[in-house]
Amino acid sequence: MATKKEEKQFEKERKAAIKARKKRMKEEGLEKYLTPEQIRYNRNKAIIGAVWPVFRFLILFGLCFIILYPLIFMISTAFRPNEQMNDPSVVWLPKSLTMENVNQVWKTMKFENTLLTTLKYNIISSVLQVVTCAVTGYGFARFKFKGKSILFAIVVLMIIVPPQIITIPLFMQFRNFGIPGVWTTSLIDTGWTMYLPALFANGLRAGLFIFIFRQFFRGLPKELEDAAYLDGCGPLKTFLIVMCPNAKTSFLTVFLFSIVWYWNDFYVASSFFTSADTIALSLKNLDAALIQDLFRGQAPSVRQLIVWLEAGCILSITPLLVMYIFLQRYFIEGIERSGITGM
Amino acid sequence: MNELEMERSELEQELDDTAQDVTEEISEIGEAAEETAAEAEDTAEEAFDNAEGTAEEAADAAEEISVSEIEEIAEPVAVNRGSQKKPKLSYEKKKGLYGYGFIALWIIGTLYFFIYPLIVSFIYSLHDTKVTEGGMELNNRGFHNYVNAFRQDQDYSKALVETLSSTALKTPLILVFSIFIAVILNQKFRGRTFARAVFFLPVIIATGPVIDIINGNMSTGGYAGGSEQFSTMFETNLVDQLLNFLGIYNISDTLTETLNTLTSDIFNLVWNSGIQILLFLSALQGIPFSAKEAAQMEGATAWEYFWKITIPYISPQILTSLVYTIVDSFVDPGNQVMEIVLNKAKSWNHGYSAAMAWAYFLIIAVVLAIVVAIINKFVYYEVE
Repeated sequence: MATKKEEKQFEKERKAAIKARKKRMKEEGLEKYLTPEQIRYNRNKAIIGAVWPVFRFLILFGLCFIILYPLIFMISTAFRPNEQMNDPSVVWLPKSLTMENVNQVWKTMKFENTLLTTLKYNIISSVLQVVTCAVTGYGFARFKFKGKSILFAIVVLMIIVPPQIITIPLFMQFRNFGIPGVWTTSLIDTGWTMYLPALFANGLRAGLFIFIFRQFFRGLPKELEDAAYLDGCGPLKTFLIVMCPNAKTSFLTVFLFSIVWYWNDFYVASSFFTSADTIALSLKNLDAALIQDLFRGQAPSVRQLIVWLEAGCILSITPLLVMYIFLQRYFIEGIERSGITGM
Repeated sequence: MNELEMERSELEQELDDTAQDVTEEISEIGEAAEETAAEAEDTAEEAFDNAEGTAEEAADAAEEISVSEIEEIAEPVAVNRGSQKKPKLSYEKKKGLYGYGFIALWIIGTLYFFIYPLIVSFIYSLHDTKVTEGGMELNNRGFHNYVNAFRQDQDYSKALVETLSSTALKTPLILVFSIFIAVILNQKFRGRTFARAVFFLPVIIATGPVIDIINGNMSTGGYAGGSEQFSTMFETNLVDQLLNFLGIYNISDTLTETLNTLTSDIFNLVWNSGIQILLFLSALQGIPFSAKEAAQMEGATAWEYFWKITIPYISPQILTSLVYTIVDSFVDPGNQVMEIVLNKAKSWNHGYSAAMAWAYFLIIAVVLAIVVAIINKFVYYEVE
């Protein structure tokens, strides 16, 4: 195996050689070497090679702008004084910057408390979810047992069935959790409404995660398992010692997605929490809270609220964005490698 | 002639010799086989004496050996194989049990957190519900709720049609767009990592409530200078002008209108195709280099390469993305049917809401089944 440096060197030499050959061929007349069709093919390819990068740049630039536009708008709006929203001379760059909006929203959202609760719920459920989904995915990928296809059909069903269908019965179940007649308790408003499903591989989008893990573990070579068996590992030990270290990137990817989805989820949280506790919920209720705090209950137009709303957006996505910037390659490469390739 | 005869006789002798050798060897092997068979029978008898339970096993072993004798495989390995067969089978069985062990947690959880609520919600849908202290009062109405949803509720069927048609319109667009972007992002150029990161950004933001605020900015367009600017930038006038230029403006109103809605919706299009782009990217990277090389040798243009190599190779992923897109757009809490269902649930009309959700879900399932059945015919699976 050549090192990367050497490979680069080779590549360089190869290109130089090709260039030299082309030059020589041109000097001696192309017709001697190539058929007319080949000449035409090469010429077309050269033209496309010269024009295409320009188009590609334009397309990507435009689309990137569309994607980034709301973020730019958010940043531009959140840090300007409220009066400048109605100033026609201000479009993108505000005349002065202020942290007042952010501070106000911080107070209204009780941000440090909200952040802590959200982080607690998020991390505990995500860790539980990753572990249990990995175990389940491994079970589906590597073992043969009766009824496997039916059970896996249920996993697919879990992906397809909208959570809205089962929310109300689930709410009743959490309200009267336990054994009816013996001991019941209400789990509403506690973190258990998130931890318990996650603990039993039924958390948010668990079906998708099980699917990803199954796909990944199926891709690992069978020899690994055989070798482990010969060395005296039972299935459980094989999973822990041999398979898990191989699945590190998959674990990280699923963990990150799980964090993102728990962070953003407001539907399930709003069903099981009566008070606004998580960041997504308090952002959802931000305009009502702001009207209470700032306008004493008089309803202003949304236009008057925009700076605070955008400041709230910035506050709530900053942790995710920071995580994304640092771990970006695990989001993308993780999926690419562990692959939901092939259904 | 003489020489030939000589050679022939020599050859015959050689043949005889080798034949003799072979027969000797065979007889030796046969003896060995008899010996091992006798041994095995001895052990079998011992086992029989020792315990009745193991008798069958021993008989099996003996049978195995006699079979091996016939086949002239007289090596002791056969004996080993015969005695090992039973535990191997049970290992497979044990592995199956371990499989159940691995998914046991999930089975329990699914029964409690998925299947049971699903059944309960179906029961709700057949009843008139009334929330009382500590529970639900049910009043059986049969399929009355379902009939009501389609017959009486005008909003519901209208929303249903609208959701279905918008999904039918949006899905192919998203697919084509994400294939296009994935192909571009798969090329090598400077800033590729950045572009990929940007295109995937919506997945992180768009699932949360932030998107509602952003969408609010986009749709009303009147919040602030910035968004006005944005909406004029992608004003449909430009599209009209292009249509005019091409000479197909106002040929039919529906055509113009469809094109207008499509282009003005580019924001949603881009923001909804993050996952699909990712799926296609991973598929594109799975195209073997040899295919590309072969296409180049044959002088395929980029266009031909795309249709004859790329599309077949990524077709399984097209199916996956298709299913994902359809499900995503149906399940989105922002779409009209979901809104109605959630509103009904909020106003404590659980039975009716459950009936509408179930009817909707069944329609989704039918649509998905049809789409998958059709597309699956065109999918190319590489046989390895």
